[in-house]
Amino acid sequence: MAQRIDRTQPPETPPIPQFKMPPVHEARLPNGLSVVMLEDARFPLVSIRLSFQAGSKFDPKDMPGLAGMVAGMLTQGTKTRSYRALAEELTSIGATLNGNASPDVLTLGGSVLAENTGKLLDLTADVARDANFPENEVQLRKQNRKQGLLAQRSQPSFLAREKFDAVLFGDHPYAYIAPTMESIDRMDQKSMVQFRDTFLIPNNAVLLLVGQLPGHAETLKLVRERFGAWIEKPVPAAPAKTFPESKRQLVLVDRPGSVQADIHIGRLAATRTDPDYYPLLVGNAILGGGASSRLFIDVREKQGFAYDAHSELDRRKDAGAAAAVTQVRNEVVEPAMEAVLGHLSAMAKTPVSTDELSDVKNHISGTFLLSLETQASLADQVDLVKTMSLPNDYLEMFTTRVRSVEPAQIQAAARKYLAPANSAIIVVGDASKIQKALGKFGTVQVEKAK
Amino acid sequence: MKYLFAIVILLCAVLPAAQPVIPIEKYSLKNGMRVILSRDNAVPVVTIYMIFDVGARAEEQSRTGFAHLFEHMMFEGSAHAPKGMHFKTVESNGGTLNGSTHPDYTDYFEVLPSNKLAVGLWLESDRMRSLDITAENLANQKEAVKQERRLSFDNRPYATALVDHWPQIAFQNWHNSHSLIGSFEDLNAASVDDVAKFFKTHYAPNNAVMVIVGDIQIPATKKLIEEYFSDIPAQPKPDRPDLSEPAEVKARSEVYHDQHARVPGVVIGYPAPVRHSPDFYALGMIDVVLTGGPSSRFQLNLVKGKESVIQHQSEIGWPFASSTDYKNPGDYAMFLLFKPNFTPRQIVDQAQEEIAKIQNEGVDAKELERARTLLRSERITSLQSSLRRAQLLGQYEILDGAPDLINKDMEKFLAVSSNDMQAAAKKYLTPERRSVLEILPAPPKAEGAPALKESK
Repeated sequence: MAQRIDRTQPPETPPIPQFKMPPVHEARLPNGLSVVMLEDARFPLVSIRLSFQAGSKFDPKDMPGLAGMVAGMLTQGTKTRSYRALAEELTSIGATLNGNASPDVLTLGGSVLAENTGKLLDLTADVARDANFPENEVQLRKQNRKQGLLAQRSQPSFLAREKFDAVLFGDHPYAYIAPTMESIDRMDQKSMVQFRDTFLIPNNAVLLLVGQLPGHAETLKLVRERFGAWIEKPVPAAPAKTFPESKRQLVLVDRPGSVQADIHIGRLAATRTDPDYYPLLVGNAILGGGASSRLFIDVREKQGFAYDAHSELDRRKDAGAAAAVTQVRNEVVEPAMEAVLGHLSAMAKTPVSTDELSDVKNHISGTFLLSLETQASLADQVDLVKTMSLPNDYLEMFTTRVRSVEPAQIQAAARKYLAPANSAIIVVGDASKIQKALGKFGTVQVEKAK
Repeated sequence: MKYLFAIVILLCAVLPAAQPVIPIEKYSLKNGMRVILSRDNAVPVVTIYMIFDVGARAEEQSRTGFAHLFEHMMFEGSAHAPKGMHFKTVESNGGTLNGSTHPDYTDYFEVLPSNKLAVGLWLESDRMRSLDITAENLANQKEAVKQERRLSFDNRPYATALVDHWPQIAFQNWHNSHSLIGSFEDLNAASVDDVAKFFKTHYAPNNAVMVIVGDIQIPATKKLIEEYFSDIPAQPKPDRPDLSEPAEVKARSEVYHDQHARVPGVVIGYPAPVRHSPDFYALGMIDVVLTGGPSSRFQLNLVKGKESVIQHQSEIGWPFASSTDYKNPGDYAMFLLFKPNFTPRQIVDQAQEEIAKIQNEGVDAKELERARTLLRSERITSLQSSLRRAQLLGQYEILDGAPDLINKDMEKFLAVSSNDMQAAAKKYLTPERRSVLEILPAPPKAEGAPALKESK
């Protein structure tokens, strides 16, 4: 066969295409409910998100996890529908509907075969407005949540994340990633009803519909019929945005029998609306954002210390956090810690190379495009823009903003957020095996895994 | 109904069908590599999916975990894309990638912005033509795999019991019953020669299927594939191990005391009917009725109702395969986490009692219609992803020689009647055919002692 291509080189290809945002239509009902509609005709489906500023940061001080519990309980029964009736109706129209609470937002999310959109809106409205937290369902959920918590606590990654957030966020409610046994005991029907009546109100919510919609006017009519009579109330204030100063501390959570050490190193960092955000995002990707990142290449591929070595940004509305994460076998804790700390410092010390920068910008831009492939992911992204108060052009301009980042900006952001001098080090592992090695990095505060 | 291009939108709105139809173009190169193309220009994304007809069940004794170790070697470099370049090239072109080892096949994918298709084809052809197999890379990947075993199995609740013990209970033939992740001893014993031989035999073009799904032009794509792949030489077809199980089903049970588990669990399994036989579809519908969605019988009667089960999952092929992607023989297995005030025996009895209701009474029309709607909407939802479409096409080709099952199998599930389910439940889901693995939290133990195991 005639050779027409050079197989020794990667082929030349055009630049990554830009994401084209479909038109977004917005409206507001007189009771303050924001309505956002996006036509997505690719599949015979409609996705719905009803999101409230009612995430776990709004939990009462003695009841961490209440927002999550309320979110889960919304679909367990209403004034007019038992759990069974609700579940059977959902299944019979090809729909899902689940409540979930993130640190900032409580979301009722679901999807439905497009021909049944009105029926899913019926159920969404019923659940959001008239969930009644039946006593037997509350008791069952409390029991099962406790067992779930036990199961979570058997995972080292959970223990590491729990301690990491507790140290970083201090007295702010962001410090809790889950309820406690005691807070579950305190929850009851009354506290759930009170949470619902305070936070699940139309003027504290955004309703998003994405999919094969019956036209904007008709869709808005469907929404108005179901949500129009919902009564607005004053919106409660969010907790004060006060967080501890980042400082070096080394906590070892002792988990006897662990064959690995689960390591988190990090500190508070920029939020999505901070001017440092895009430089930090790009810098973090170079450090540990994929299989060609520095941490992966060195800690996994070169040294063989770990299967997973990466860095991540936790981007909440009122605070962010940056963390380098790896799980290494007990014998190599010391060299692995040195390697990770070295890479964190290097980000602040030396500007990133032009090649590294251009590769990582392509990576972020391309995977952003891929992440919008399904209707659910498109809905989640638009929901994020609305609930996290991001600029309206956030999705359309994302790639352009990533591409404008310069090496000097990355270095400056790394000095602020990645350089480990003031970072917390949280390790979960068998203290009898790894405490000595950790001692070389500072005073080790040992706590028993609960 | 056609897959959803702009032109058919109006039809979709008024005519609910089983599912959108996925276009399929299948052909072979002269070296025997099978190619499946499926065009969908709705979003500028393309998936390249390579699937090879070899999985962990094909391993030889004393080489457990080898198929997975080899999968790691596929990322270690080739003649023109040296170590690190595969990851780097995919990522710097805006893509994602991965590989995974399954009981009956091994697969690799790149999802890329669609105008980067040629880059993915270049990488895949370079490693199929000229994988770089060195002692250094092998040593390094043995460590990575051991770390993966520690992370994903040895340090986690339930996982070791599922990977090392459950297959031994569910199957009698060694090929089906050995550990997929393998032992450290066998991993250590693997040599560079083993790797080279495995590559030549199992990664030849005639043992592979390439699926490309997404925003492509068919003629241009065919031309690129021809240029990159057609002169990679074919190899003799590898021997396939005999996977058949003894005709006599042996129900077995075991108790595993798990050092990491805090909540008790139980695995219950039954040998499954022949894949794609009428009973297979009936069992698939039984599974939906028992465990699918918020109104399943397990959810209504065990999670609610008896308030005994906390979480459940189940499938034909579980835990390491699914109903779409295993070779015969398979099993139908379920894993139930339950409250500690119940005994494993009570949970097994409760699950069997739910099955007995189907055996005795069948499923009424309303419930059956719900199960059908659930299955249909889950399928439509999953088909949104070009990667999921590619996986189904490739798996149906490798395992069944019939990629068009992606468009046909749903109709067969939807045609299952209550009588079919009753009959299949009576034939397959009986206590005599049932194997059970109890996974119980281990009592606090002396430091360094191994996990306890006892047989019943």
